Amino acid sequence: MNYIQLEKLGEGTYATVYKGRSRTTNEIVALKEIHLDAEEGTPSTAIREISLMKELKHINIVRLYDVIHTETKLVLIFEYCERDLKKYMDAHGDRGALDPNTVRSFMYQLLMGTAFCHENRVLHRDLKPQNLLINRKGELKLGDFGLARAFGVPVNTFSNEVVTLWYRAPDVLLGSRTYSTSIDVWSCGCIFAEMISGVPLFRGRDNPDQLLHIMRIIGTPDERTLRKMVAESPEIQIKQWPRYPKIPFQQVLPKASPQAIDLLERLLQFDPAKRITAAEALQHPYFTSAGFGTNSSGALPTPYPPAQQATVIPPPAPAQYNYPHPSQPGVVYANPQITQIPQPQQPQPQQPPNGFGQYPAGYAHAPGR
Amino acid sequence: MSTGTVTVRRRLHPLASLSQIQSTPSAQDGVPHSIEEDLRAYGCKLIHQAGILLNQFVSSSSQFVTPHILGDRKQVAVATAQIILQRFFYVSSLKQFSVADVGMGALFLSSKLEECPVRMRDLINVYDLLLQRAAHTVASTSFAHPPPEFKYTPMSYFGNTFYDLREALVVSEMQILKRLGFDVQVVLPYGTLVNYMRLLGLTSRNEAMSMAWGYLNDATLIQWLNRLQTSVYALYAVPTVVSAAILLTTRQLGIALPSDPTNCWWELFDVEWEDLWSVCGYVMRLYRERTTDERVEIMGLLTKRDFRQWLENKK
Ligand SMILES: Nc1ncnc2c1ncn2[C@@H]1O[C@H](COP(=O)(O)OP(=O)(O)O)[C@@H](O)[C@H]1O
Ligand SMILES: [Mg+2]
Repeated sequence: MNYIQLEKLGEGTYATVYKGRSRTTNEIVALKEIHLDAEEGTPSTAIREISLMKELKHINIVRLYDVIHTETKLVLIFEYCERDLKKYMDAHGDRGALDPNTVRSFMYQLLMGTAFCHENRVLHRDLKPQNLLINRKGELKLGDFGLARAFGVPVNTFSNEVVTLWYRAPDVLLGSRTYSTSIDVWSCGCIFAEMISGVPLFRGRDNPDQLLHIMRIIGTPDERTLRKMVAESPEIQIKQWPRYPKIPFQQVLPKASPQAIDLLERLLQFDPAKRITAAEALQHPYFTSAGFGTNSSGALPTPYPPAQQATVIPPPAPAQYNYPHPSQPGVVYANPQITQIPQPQQPQPQQPPNGFGQYPAGYAHAPGR
Repeated sequence: MSTGTVTVRRRLHPLASLSQIQSTPSAQDGVPHSIEEDLRAYGCKLIHQAGILLNQFVSSSSQFVTPHILGDRKQVAVATAQIILQRFFYVSSLKQFSVADVGMGALFLSSKLEECPVRMRDLINVYDLLLQRAAHTVASTSFAHPPPEFKYTPMSYFGNTFYDLREALVVSEMQILKRLGFDVQVVLPYGTLVNYMRLLGLTSRNEAMSMAWGYLNDATLIQWLNRLQTSVYALYAVPTVVSAAILLTTRQLGIALPSDPTNCWWELFDVEWEDLWSVCGYVMRLYRERTTDERVEIMGLLTKRDFRQWLENKK
């Protein structure tokens, strides 16, 4: 292999991730190793992750550089990130809670990455802090596309076995199989609340318990809402639940600003049809209003709290502090791809004759790789 | 235009594309174009039949009316596998891989992508049956003393056949992924078909719906689409291909649609008549009746060994 395997970075549900260094360029990368099983062939998680990620190029999505395919394993070579959001919160937060500027910067980037997936007809379906990666520049990137899928066919039905319980949308908990992008938006809302408070917002033990945890905070939905949801997704199973009143989010998250609360409210709608889209959320006053986030000197707030950055991560060179904060007027996140997305029903020919030039680099047809 | 879709028009010259089609890896190995086309089509047919046998395929025509059924994952898995097979033979030769193995691997793969996984054992049994049946057909037409009626002999799970086929399946899936660089995401135009049929007021005609669906599902049109999606032979845009399915259907069923130069239905979808007509022409050419000999010849080429032997003898 062209990479030296260094220490273990993390372990997920189906793979082990190591830090690695390229023998040729010395570049640091992340190596995700997936073992191949003679009984099952290539795991569907790997098929999804590779086939979708090689097309998704965005600053807020972890970049897949290459794939090494051997008889016994697949190694995915990713852009290296310092740590996942869960570990970041443990290391930098005040008992897990992040300061408002960091929350806002991360939330903006999370929604940017999510909106980009949705524009490209990809559902992530497993957004949670462990699957969001933070690099030393304070850039947040969506990772782990093992449960992701394309939604080209408009009226598709999908697996119900998606999203880690605590971040799973109520319509999915009720059995919906016709969910769409709103499933990721719910997870974004849960992550938002968790960054503000330091603890996961809804911590159920199992599917029914998770629903009760949700209802205890956002209230049991009324008959009309439930009937409407059943009409829209007939697979949904309705039961009798205690009638919980809604608790104002301000009470649950006393530290949050009114604008943050308003955005959270729109992200965490029980009825998926009422949930805001990721693209709309980016336009919310929480991100666009002036005054918040810039300190008196007008400098860009860095996503790394300065007091802790020296001990944990060597401070990046000044030039690297150029990640624009959304509160800066005129900031446009550099993202040329967004204007070039092919229409979903109209895949466009982008490549010259062999047509398969979009692989991760080095992934040649040449047999024997 | 009120179709709600953005149309990007691409017109390419069919003649130029013909030379491209002829330079497939199989063609470079000396496989005649017609044999390649028929073998690809047969590979797709095997996938379709395997889908039915795996009880994955809802085929009754009345099922095609509601869009909900069109979204059925299992049907989508079958069509996706067919596209993957077609795509695969633009980067690989029939001399190296049989349509049976690739079809089996493609169906295994697409059922994972569409979240309706099939058991390896079921898939292997189904392909074993289909191949035995094809071999029987070949034997009964080509030998002086034809064998008796076809009877399927199930394999032993502990015998070599099963392990060999399982190995072939895993290798085939891996080869597809490897050679296509994991380019296995497929966009199917069924939504477009339903939209167009609705706009033309044809959704109430069950037989029209299922026939148009059939044309679209058919290996030949799938091939056109495939060329589009792989960008290898990007000949025509989705609206042209979908319109071709509708044109063939309405002509066959004698359904009249506005077709004057000043008022013609295909313009609603931004499709040019010449494009539409040449797609239909190709399809009809591929639909020409095959002789028994031609058909049996194809059925005798489904495994790699048989195919290589045939290619040797031809030289
Ligand atoms: N590119 C990366 N850089 C740094 N750490 C990573 C990277 N990718 C993954 N990790 C770490 O490995 C863990 C597991 O990776 P993940 O892709 O989520 O695997 P799984 O699909 O098995 O859950 C993550 O939670 C994270 O801590
Ligand atoms: Mg993970």
